Amino acid sequence: MLLMMIGLGAALGSIGRYLITIRLKKVSGWPLATLLINLSGAFALGLLFGLNLLPDVYKILGIGFFGGYTTFSTFNVELLALHHSQARRLELFYGLTSYLGGLLLVTLGFWSSKMF
Amino acid sequence: MEKFKCLFSIGIFGALGGICRYLIGLQLDYRGDLLVNLLGCFLLGFLTYFWLNFREIANWLSLGLGTGFVGSFTTFSSFCLDNLKLLLAGQNLALLLYLLISIAGGWIAALIGIKAGTEIGRRFSQSGEEDD
Repeated sequence: MLLMMIGLGAALGSIGRYLITIRLKKVSGWPLATLLINLSGAFALGLLFGLNLLPDVYKILGIGFFGGYTTFSTFNVELLALHHSQARRLELFYGLTSYLGGLLLVTLGFWSSKMF
Repeated sequence: MEKFKCLFSIGIFGALGGICRYLIGLQLDYRGDLLVNLLGCFLLGFLTYFWLNFREIANWLSLGLGTGFVGSFTTFSSFCLDNLKLLLAGQNLALLLYLLISIAGGWIAALIGIKAGTEIGRRFSQSGEEDD
């Protein structure tokens, strides 16, 4: 049952990621959608982790939903697509903002949870 | 209708990807996230460029496998949280290794996947042409 709920969370997270991506692709020429998804997901997971939820609730929301919502593979394939189209500066910018931003936001999320 | 089919496919495959990641994580903890992330980078690079060089596949299926399964199998949020957990636990060496292997490894795994997918996709499409 827990496995099914984690799957449902991941399904909804993936669909959410797809819908945001197709919406933002129309207005942006670079992987802005994945960046926003990964950064917002990092903040949310840090927050959830700090809230001391019931273990099953955390698994469904944190591992299921936000795990499915954020993505490491698309991010890296996008980095290489920028690399191959000679957009090296944008590749570096995208990589740095993702990694530094993600680490900063997961910490901020965790820190915010302590204010509740 | 086509859009619904795509969303449904992403949802079903995304659920499977998330369940696989969870089961691997149960066994391996943060090393599980590292494993799924590197494996997923290779797989997504491979799949994307294989179909690009081989032939068109149905949009719903490529979205289901790539965006759904592999996208959900890998995770950026847990990657970030794993780093924070290692930091809070004072495991500085593990933190450094995890960061470096994820960053360099993800990029290299995607590169290898793209190269392999491109090459094998081209071979498949060439052998298909000879048969015709």
